[in-house]
Amino acid sequence: MRYAALMLIGCLVAVACSTTNPGLLKEDSSVKDDEQRLWQRSIEEQQVLDTSGFVYRDAELREYLNGIVRRLQPTETHDTRSFRIVVLKDLHLNAFAYPNGVIYVHAGILARVDNEAQLATLLAHEMAHCTHRHALRAFRNFKRTKDRIAILQKPEPALHHEDLMSLLGSTRTVAVTGYSQDLETEADLTGLEFVLNAGYDLKEAPRLFEHLKRELVEEKAREPFFFGTHPRLKKRIQNCEDFLRAHCQGQEEGVKNTEIFLRKVQRLVLENALLDLKAGRFPSAQRGLEKYLTINPHDPKAYYLLGEVCRQRAKENDIARAKEYYKKAILLDPLYPEPYKAVGLIYYKEGEKRLARRSFESCLALSPHEPDRAYIRGYLEQCDD
Amino acid sequence: MIRYLLILLLFIPACAPWIGSRGTFESPSHHFSVDIPQTWMRLKCDRYLLISQDGPFLQYILVQERPIARPFRHTKKKLTRGMLPQEAAQVIVDEISCDQSVLDFQVKENTPARVNEYDGFKLLFIHKNRDGLTFKTVYYGFLIGDRFYSARYNAAKRYYFDKDRATFEEVLQSLRLERPTLDALWLAYLPPSITLPLSNA
Repeated sequence: MRYAALMLIGCLVAVACSTTNPGLLKEDSSVKDDEQRLWQRSIEEQQVLDTSGFVYRDAELREYLNGIVRRLQPTETHDTRSFRIVVLKDLHLNAFAYPNGVIYVHAGILARVDNEAQLATLLAHEMAHCTHRHALRAFRNFKRTKDRIAILQKPEPALHHEDLMSLLGSTRTVAVTGYSQDLETEADLTGLEFVLNAGYDLKEAPRLFEHLKRELVEEKAREPFFFGTHPRLKKRIQNCEDFLRAHCQGQEEGVKNTEIFLRKVQRLVLENALLDLKAGRFPSAQRGLEKYLTINPHDPKAYYLLGEVCRQRAKENDIARAKEYYKKAILLDPLYPEPYKAVGLIYYKEGEKRLARRSFESCLALSPHEPDRAYIRGYLEQCDD
Repeated sequence: MIRYLLILLLFIPACAPWIGSRGTFESPSHHFSVDIPQTWMRLKCDRYLLISQDGPFLQYILVQERPIARPFRHTKKKLTRGMLPQEAAQVIVDEISCDQSVLDFQVKENTPARVNEYDGFKLLFIHKNRDGLTFKTVYYGFLIGDRFYSARYNAAKRYYFDKDRATFEEVLQSLRLERPTLDALWLAYLPPSITLPLSNA
């Protein structure tokens, strides 16, 4: 047992010590072969993701995100590398980059960050994985050690991501499963340099981690692989703060672009709140909807959805609050049928048959082909009794 | 070594726990009974009833019971006592739509339904799997006290769904609930080896 433990420690040390600096990668033919194989595998995985139905289609947002990446990209890499952002309809806070420069960002994290500077921190981290050829380095490291410790190296899939990641099969690339501690730290620090050089406000960077930390607490989750499995979040926040101390003192405030960011992501924020609602993540859904209302304070759909959050959660005072939200939605758009139906359901369950009838009839009058009309007709019959 | 492994793999299908069982299936732990159609095979399992004629990846009928307090796999929403059938249907729809192995999920019909004497709901939906094959499912569910009962028929949309739809309706009509007992709060986890899409809802 003791011998096994020593062997295990030895293996882990061997892995930790075998990380290669990007500049030190010897450019022989085997490196080129490996990189080609990785890129080919990346393209195959991207094809699976791109046809999965999980890609969020919004040309304006895509252009905006690609613009941020162009701003972040160091000029010396312009000739050798191009980046492309793809947004996935996934409510969990995550992002990952393929070695060929295609970066997948979950809608959940886009909906959560507050401004362009925070988003730039996230994208720059992923870009650094590409510019520093982390996938290649991890792959070659794996090849060297696989006979001894392949099993030990296999990263555990992060909670909540099994489904989406399982689309890619068991041989998915390391880009999707996360990197080692050294590579994640390097991506953090290099990414922060990209952010600084692009003129973004570096003081926003730690706030990205705060969003992620809150998610971990709320979801009682293990760390999503944006963090990698190592180092732990606390250590990474510390790294970030050290970088800020070294580079931000006496500097003018950088670019945040809060307004433009919120304008570009507003539709995504609303749709992600709906995903959160379906998943029963009521605090996240509520937060997303409240954020959306700061951008569009007169959107009846957001008030209706806030009502749905409260009605479906049904904790103390939630039902009364739901009614208020539905009333507000109706006030903003009296021709919107959904809140009538929802408030009718509340009245129906409370035994307020006259009020329920009025609400259900309004819903059907506004939307004769309402998908739930069979239920509503049943309720109306019950209201007659 | 590899040769032995291959031989072992060849034996595994022969050990698959599918059994032919005509007549009425009764399970005291499940508190329900249904008539199994002729020529259909049943998965040997005490926790739920899964039957198929051509294999579960082409078509299956699944009858399940679950305590309402048991959490779902993909949504944090819960069924609660006194929920309207429409509300219960919404929880099931959300559970399925949050399952990322269920692609291109579309609800075609969501209506109230009576299953024998029980008020419940009926869903009709389609989805694709990872290989792009389209499946169609009809799903009935109802709440009785602290338990949720469901019966569904899932089949490849092309050819198979229509082929056995009438058989499913016969199975559904034969569904009878036994007298419920409070001490039978079992957990109906599907064994990983036969986990099917939509099996948790």
